[in-house]
Amino acid sequence: MHDMSAHAHVAHHAPPTSFIRKHIFSLDHKVIGKQYYGLALLAVFVGMFLSWLMRLHLGWTNLTIPGLHLLSSNGAPGNVMTPEYYLQLMTMHATIMVFFVLTTAPFAAFGNYFLPIQVGAEDMPFPRFNMMSFWITFAGFVVLVSSFFVGDGPTLGGWTQYAPLSAVGSVAGPGEGSGVVLWAISIALFCVGQLLGSLNFITTTLDMRTKGMSLWRLPLSTWAWFITSVMGLTAFAVLMPACILLILDHVAGTSFFVPSNLVISDQVQPHSGGSTLLWQHLFWFFGHPEVYIAIVPGMGIISHVLIANMRRPMLSHRTLIYSFGALAVLSYMVYGHHMFVSGMNPVSSIAFSFPTLIITIPSTILVLIWLGSLYGARLRINTASLFALGFISMFISGGVSGFFLAQPSIDIMLHATYFVVGHFHMVMGVAAMFGIFAGTYFWFPKMFGRMMNETLGKVHFWLTFVGTYCIFMPFHYLGLAGNVRRYQAFVVDYMQPLVPVHRFITVAALITGAAQLIFLYNLIHSRFWGEPAPENPWQATSLEWSTPSSPPPFDNFGGKLPVVYHDPYQYGVEGSTGDYVMQDSPEQIETVRDEG
Amino acid sequence: MSQADLTMEGHPAGLTTGIPPFSIPAKKMAIWLFIIADAATFAACLVVYGFLRNGAPNWPRPFHSITNVALMTFILLTSSLTMLLGVRAAKTSDKAGAFRWTIITAIGGILFALLHVREWLALIAEGMTLFHNPWGTGLFGASFFCITGLHLLHVTGGVVALLAVGIRYRGGRYNADDLEVTGLYWHFVDLVWMFVVPFVYLLNLAH
Amino acid sequence: MHTPDVQPHEPEARYTDPIRKYIVIYLCILALATFQFVIAYSRIDGTAMFARMLFVALAEAGLALMFFMHLWAEKRGFLLFVVVFTGFVLLAMQYGWTDSYRMEVGAPYSQPKAGVVQQ
Repeated sequence: MHDMSAHAHVAHHAPPTSFIRKHIFSLDHKVIGKQYYGLALLAVFVGMFLSWLMRLHLGWTNLTIPGLHLLSSNGAPGNVMTPEYYLQLMTMHATIMVFFVLTTAPFAAFGNYFLPIQVGAEDMPFPRFNMMSFWITFAGFVVLVSSFFVGDGPTLGGWTQYAPLSAVGSVAGPGEGSGVVLWAISIALFCVGQLLGSLNFITTTLDMRTKGMSLWRLPLSTWAWFITSVMGLTAFAVLMPACILLILDHVAGTSFFVPSNLVISDQVQPHSGGSTLLWQHLFWFFGHPEVYIAIVPGMGIISHVLIANMRRPMLSHRTLIYSFGALAVLSYMVYGHHMFVSGMNPVSSIAFSFPTLIITIPSTILVLIWLGSLYGARLRINTASLFALGFISMFISGGVSGFFLAQPSIDIMLHATYFVVGHFHMVMGVAAMFGIFAGTYFWFPKMFGRMMNETLGKVHFWLTFVGTYCIFMPFHYLGLAGNVRRYQAFVVDYMQPLVPVHRFITVAALITGAAQLIFLYNLIHSRFWGEPAPENPWQATSLEWSTPSSPPPFDNFGGKLPVVYHDPYQYGVEGSTGDYVMQDSPEQIETVRDEG
Repeated sequence: MSQADLTMEGHPAGLTTGIPPFSIPAKKMAIWLFIIADAATFAACLVVYGFLRNGAPNWPRPFHSITNVALMTFILLTSSLTMLLGVRAAKTSDKAGAFRWTIITAIGGILFALLHVREWLALIAEGMTLFHNPWGTGLFGASFFCITGLHLLHVTGGVVALLAVGIRYRGGRYNADDLEVTGLYWHFVDLVWMFVVPFVYLLNLAH
Repeated sequence: MHTPDVQPHEPEARYTDPIRKYIVIYLCILALATFQFVIAYSRIDGTAMFARMLFVALAEAGLALMFFMHLWAEKRGFLLFVVVFTGFVLLAMQYGWTDSYRMEVGAPYSQPKAGVVQQ
């Protein structure tokens, strides 16, 4: 037996006793995971609130919303939204959602909590980096939100923060001043935080696996987090310098992203020589992998959840993993499809269109494997599995429009419309949210030792599922009808007939948003008063269900690391525990394995 | 339990057992991952520089002398060699030698940084700022200061790390592996400089 | 094939290489660095100069990566991972160049116009 212990170099830190060390500056990956989850929860409600304000305004353009002026010093005279204010809300909604919800919750929160447990480790190799990772991310969130209360309000440049308007300062209008700088600082901080997280995730997966835990025996969720962190490693490393250059353009007078002779507000800008396309190239080089950073963990989570509820493995474990990998590789080669209308070299459009169409192949393979595995399975219907099914539904509905948008000739017509908004909200926004929900309902018993209320959960699911379709399907229609996105009012004649559609969407959005309060109630109520959870409520096989208690003890496995004997998903076999065999159960069985 | 229970035939070792597939311990793995990420950061900066230089009709070529940059390159490359000797000494349990070479490496880094700062001050005295210079497009100063500044930041961080790890290594808190990890970082800083010299200095040499 | 029973951490022969080997590699890198200065003073046009400098820099970096950073002595799998992954990401970053050429062609927007009055 090899003696080289991968764990020898890990600092075994003792359980902390003080409140601060235990709950605030904790080194425990489980606490950090919960902190990330809490941050995402806070952020998602802020982001959702902002979207409510936008929706209300889109439905009833002259509506007076009491207290609107509180969020922006000069953006809402008489509590009626100005165009700038609308764009500020949109920008903050997008930034908060993409960075602080869709990246933190499925990747950083669940990954932190469950990746070390699923590989059979006591903790991550660098707990201090892990703690810094969270607190730096948190600082980024605080900086971002603070821009509501500083100077001329938050930035209005969209989450893409396109130059040159974002680079020239407040001469470009309200919301292009200090807001942009705060935005860039916040995102740069976020990049550092996620970089530290990625280092930990990758080293944990490679070096901290317990005895017998081969790479192929890792659960799909672990594979997804692992591949995501490899993507994050280089994607965030490019966005960070881009943000710093943007700050320099803003405050130090450089001209990286500002061309010569630019006239803004009737003034020739003092900058010269830069390129606006350069920012877009840098941003999207990060931005496209970021889309997969948001969605791949969700794919891993729902695969994990579905398998436990189908009571059999996916048709092909390996093909799923290879498809995750293919998505990761291709995500670096397709970023230009966000720039078809930017005026970039037309040759590049073709060069980017081709891999964009190729990337639909691994995506389709994933969907086919999920559907094929579900076919004929006796799926246990619970909230977690419903949300997993919802994920697949959203991913297909939103993904199909991707085939259209991948082609420059069609994208040029649809790019600036609600069609694109509907597309990405379904395929990476709501789908990833459904992944988060599935993970929450599935892992809550392990994280808090109590069950969530299933009835409330199912109500939450159906309201969210139906509501989401009511909101985002009409977006596609609006887009095809020529409704331009990022407009805060519909002044053009041909858009007038579309106003009722907007009202319908607004009502749907308010109801769907309110349904999330059921989730919040369920979460808080179950945390304290929920039914105590059994050790392994879903009769699942992976290592997180082998921990001696729920929540797991400080060192996860009670002082003794598990030994792994089986592939992760041994369902449908005769074991002493029923129709499944735990990964760390030493009984001899005929391995359930796919052929692929 | 037998080994066979733990393995799946036909796969490389890392895929069948829990041992690291690359046989690289966590700290070293982490520094390599950091190096990869950092390489992407520097590459992004160099791409920005090249992109802008390519498009600028009045890109200046202000450097007249190569003495300073040649000396800096020599010092940095040599410090990589001394670092190598330091790690070698540490791995062969020559503690005093390892400490000595590490400190010499750090001194090399400090010399490099001082020469660099002197050069910066000279350029600033000639009227070069982040957004303006007497010779051509202001983008030159912006990209020059950003790229060399980022590199200088890495050198400074490296010197601090070398001193801290070196001293703690002598005190027994850190071991040879930690020194090796610091060494990897230091070599990487050197490696980046190998690209900065030709692209940022030599291509901008006045003829 | 590597068997799991072999100590994954071989005795660290790579660190006890003769010092002479290090010095030879150091001198090679130094020579390549010097060569770059020679290229800089040769009378060739910009693109050719850039290409040669890139080539020499890659050779230098390769030597440093393989022998100073001991990548050559690591497992081949790791070597491939570092080189292929990093190389792929850095290559993927080069998509944007075509737009920089168009910026040049796109004058007058890329250069300050004499007639424009600065306010």
